[in-house]
Amino acid sequence: MRSKRTAVITALCFLLPNFLGFCVFTVGPVVFSLTAAFSNWNLMKTVPLQFVGLGNFVKLFTEHEFWLYSINTVYLMMGMPIAIAASLFLAILLGQKLRGIVVYRTLFYLPSFTAGVALLILWKALYNPDFGPINVIIETVLGWLHVSSVDAPTWLSSTKNVLSLGVEKVGLVAGQFGLGARDAIIMMGIWTAAGGGNMLLYLAGISNIPQELYEAASIDGAGKWAQFRHVTWPQLAPTTFFIVIMSFIGGLQGGFEQARVMTMGGPAGTTTTLSYYIYTKAFEEFQIGYASAVAWVLFTVIFVVTLVNWRFGSQYVNE
Amino acid sequence: MKYIFVGAFCAMAVLSVVAWWWQPSQRDDGRLEIVWVSDDNPVRREQIDLFNELYPQYRLRLDPQNSGMEKVIVQCLAGVGPDVFDCYSGFQLASFVRSGIARDCAEDLAARDIDIDAVWPALRPLVVHEGRAYGHPDNAHAPALWYNKRVFDAAGEPYPTGGWTWAEFIEVAKRLTVEDERGRLAQFGLMMGYGDWLDILVAQWGCDIYTPEGTRCTLDSAEAGAAVQFYQDLIYKHGVTPSPVQESAMASAGGWGSGIIALFGADKAAMAIGGRWWLCLLRNPDFGKLPLGAVELPHGPTDRVFGGGRSTLVNAKSKNIEGALTFLEYMHGPAWNNLINRQADALSPVMKYNYTEEFLFNPEHPEEDYNAVWRTAMENSIPRPVSPYVHGQRVDRILAKQADLVRAELKSGAEAMRDAAREINEAIIEMLEIDPVLRERYYEAVAKGAPAAWDRPEDAP
Repeated sequence: MRSKRTAVITALCFLLPNFLGFCVFTVGPVVFSLTAAFSNWNLMKTVPLQFVGLGNFVKLFTEHEFWLYSINTVYLMMGMPIAIAASLFLAILLGQKLRGIVVYRTLFYLPSFTAGVALLILWKALYNPDFGPINVIIETVLGWLHVSSVDAPTWLSSTKNVLSLGVEKVGLVAGQFGLGARDAIIMMGIWTAAGGGNMLLYLAGISNIPQELYEAASIDGAGKWAQFRHVTWPQLAPTTFFIVIMSFIGGLQGGFEQARVMTMGGPAGTTTTLSYYIYTKAFEEFQIGYASAVAWVLFTVIFVVTLVNWRFGSQYVNE
Repeated sequence: MKYIFVGAFCAMAVLSVVAWWWQPSQRDDGRLEIVWVSDDNPVRREQIDLFNELYPQYRLRLDPQNSGMEKVIVQCLAGVGPDVFDCYSGFQLASFVRSGIARDCAEDLAARDIDIDAVWPALRPLVVHEGRAYGHPDNAHAPALWYNKRVFDAAGEPYPTGGWTWAEFIEVAKRLTVEDERGRLAQFGLMMGYGDWLDILVAQWGCDIYTPEGTRCTLDSAEAGAAVQFYQDLIYKHGVTPSPVQESAMASAGGWGSGIIALFGADKAAMAIGGRWWLCLLRNPDFGKLPLGAVELPHGPTDRVFGGGRSTLVNAKSKNIEGALTFLEYMHGPAWNNLINRQADALSPVMKYNYTEEFLFNPEHPEEDYNAVWRTAMENSIPRPVSPYVHGQRVDRILAKQADLVRAELKSGAEAMRDAAREINEAIIEMLEIDPVLRERYYEAVAKGAPAAWDRPEDAP
């Protein structure tokens, strides 16, 4: 009896520091921001703190900028399926028994442990419209094909995008079709995500697939593609499900670093995402209450999307 | 297991005590520390060293990592802010005052015989808010035109002498805009930064941004539209200044004072609109004794420009108010002012120090025979208009967006300024809805005849 009590006390002692930290640095701020979302809290001392009810939420849903930046956020998530597919492809390649495979795995994982800001600055140089390697390659290819009517994209300086989204209008606008800053950030995101944590998860998932399944498929005459379709892909369903959920969460929260380092949210606000918008409202305009409301709306969207994924995704996984 | 836990806890406790004992004492020499949040200009160290030499009871320390208004306000409100911090505009001063972190120094300055009227008039909005002084200016800036003599010599073009119109300037700039062998523009006639072109052209074209009381944005005026359209024409019609694409193609790495200055120093432009403070960088041997000249700006519809600079404010919660005020006293005296002029960190804030032989002819840099140009520019400058009824950062964001659209040729100058004015006026209304003190003052001003930000009475907050 005494030893059980001692064990419980020991366990609590282990848990306590983390629990205290969690309460002070996570639960506390979360509750605080929820309260702030219903207030007019502003860092200006001439503005008395007041409860404004749903005022901040009503305001944000009627504010043009909120919708524009929500669209930017969703647009930047368009690269997600490609990034997940690329992770799976890389994981399959790196799951092969090749000489020096550890070196390959390390190389592909490099973007994940390289400082984010350094990568962003590197990509900024890659996107240089005149001297960046990307445009040099595009211009060379266009030259080989004798295509003179098409210019290489101007990337981070351009408001264009492949869906023709407007800059100041919510909707499609003629003349906006092309590759611009938003697409540049998507491409960079795919490169970063392809060799990152998702690849490792897939790699772990692949190594857990029993070899007997492949052997049985092979005996039944299944080729490589059939083996992938009927063995690898279904066996990786739980991993894919997890990756999709995490990617959705990351995507909806993302875009801050890129906006801050590469574009300052421009040109003309086209790379401003909701997370960067929250920052500008809270720490540049000091509208802490309003920024908290945006943050809680973002949380709600993430929560609902995750629930929907969970509801329908888990059905697919269990099938 | 419990022994591991207890052991780890004891080890951490012991290490904490050791770390606490080992930390370097901040006041081991008895000097009181003054923390100054400012940018990491290469000349800043000398300015700090001189203060530490003149006032041995204090040790001034630069904190460049925490510059930026948002960081300063949040840190000061949390009680961990610096003793003194920089302010770059009237917008910022209003924000610092309204957040309650800037100390009202009017009486302190008077007690130390510091006369704010002795500084350049264009600097007053940087330190005076509603008649009260909150700090002291560090330096003064008004734009003029730099030119690179090497580029002019190579083109066989005579050096500019000033007294010219923009039309005359454009002809010269066109001749100095050069393409490379691939047909891309390798050298531009003119370079100007975002803040410069908007301020300079809008000021020269006669727009004040706001009504005199600051109650309504006037960027939808014909003058502002024409000024911004002129800038777009410089890029796309005359081709003498880079578009955003050309600019980013030429862009260099970041850092203090880099970008446009580095490009100008690398012979990428014949002329550039800038300030005397550019010399802090251009004097660097990396630029290989760049042969420079400076003349007044080409004349627009008017000759006025918006002047400005930088000021230092005192944190109301500073634990070393006396030291902070001593620093302001230092900024008002000859040691600081002459040093600023010698270092070319723009112009000294106190006017009289700019009317000396030492200012005009620096024996260490005899080639800089154009110092009078900067002084004249400062004399012609007016304070940049500020509205107390709108958040400066919000205005900057609105203007940056419209500037991007103009620079990308997605909007005409008139359209962009009309939209900017509309959005800024909406921001004024929004601010009035939030702030009852401002709202009361605003209605008082409107009652006295100042134009309101709204066009329809039902839009009034």
